Amino acid sequence: MGALANYLENEGIPTTQISLIYEHTEAIRPPRALWVPFELGRPLGVPGDAVFQRKVLIGALRLLEAESVPVLEVFPEEAPAKAGDAGGTDETWACPVRFSPGQADETGPEKRMQAFREEVAELRNWYDIGVQKRGRTALSHFTPEDAAALFCDYLSGKDILPPDETGPPAVALRLAAQDLKAFYYEAAISRPGAGIPDSEAFTRWYWNQTAAGQILRDVKKRCETDGDKEMRMAGRMFLVPMGI
Amino acid sequence: MARLDQLPEPMRSHIADLPCPHFEQTPRASGPELAKRRVAIISTAGLHRREDRPFGGMEGDYRVIEGDTPAGDLVMTHISTNFDRTGFQQDWNLVFPIDRLRELAADGVIGSVANYHFSFMGATDPAKMAPHAENLARLLAGDNVDAALLVPV
Repeated sequence: MGALANYLENEGIPTTQISLIYEHTEAIRPPRALWVPFELGRPLGVPGDAVFQRKVLIGALRLLEAESVPVLEVFPEEAPAKAGDAGGTDETWACPVRFSPGQADETGPEKRMQAFREEVAELRNWYDIGVQKRGRTALSHFTPEDAAALFCDYLSGKDILPPDETGPPAVALRLAAQDLKAFYYEAAISRPGAGIPDSEAFTRWYWNQTAAGQILRDVKKRCETDGDKEMRMAGRMFLVPMGI
Repeated sequence: MARLDQLPEPMRSHIADLPCPHFEQTPRASGPELAKRRVAIISTAGLHRREDRPFGGMEGDYRVIEGDTPAGDLVMTHISTNFDRTGFQQDWNLVFPIDRLRELAADGVIGSVANYHFSFMGATDPAKMAPHAENLARLLAGDNVDAALLVPV
């Protein structure tokens, strides 16, 4: 990010930026940066809080009038918890979607894939309701059913034939994994009384309590022995977060 | 929390060990007072319109996002799995603060909002971004932008 600022500034475009990793910005020395103490993925701090976002934005834009460069300021506030948020422990956010007992724990590849397909089908209605309510979905290229089919085909040893627009299989696998996770999130928060989990609570639920989480671990494992190096790379880096 | 020392391992080491390019000097371009600036968002979140090409690898290229792109058409295909996306799913302004910018323009805090905004994918080697950034600077100048707001993810 800081390097990009230097490139643009060299071409005559004044820049200011938000910084999420202080140490990187300090090393790269872009002209103007506001470091914020927020979670990765949340540079403006809080979703749905226009007042707070505006404060962050003005903090960054004001630096355009700084007398000298480089300037690296620190935003003085933590991101407040949003009213109504269900919080960061398993006790305070339990996904109201109840899968069949043991569904996420099925052993054996066939049973696990069956449990996964059933899970996707169970969530579909809530996803549709959520999209209608919010007028938006973050899924980019795959329907949940197509993503599920791609993973199950791959785990069954079949050739996977991604749609043209997603490019090679390794890219398709990554995009399908992202879309699947987005689907689970949008469906889970659409159930009445679900609340909005913070990112840690959602991560714990998705990776530890759903068949999807287990299937993606299986896909990652299979990728690691794939003959294609891009697939091996996808398995190693781009399907399951670090530390999961 | 993006305080490096508070990130869990192995994320902390991964981020701490990312190479940072060295610049001998910090460049400085000038412009008018903030209330007269025309602002464009440059995101590194791997954002694009749904019908546009997804980010496939780390080539250093960018996507154009027209200022009137509806929220429902904006998607994120960043390669990394290691940052939160649920905030973006709730509110695109968390990553791409276009509505906030429009409010600031309406209130006279900034001059105007650009017609075109841009997104790179941030995990890319900065050296690969450099030639694309030169092209981008010309496009920004063509839209009379004199303030690029860079937003990471």
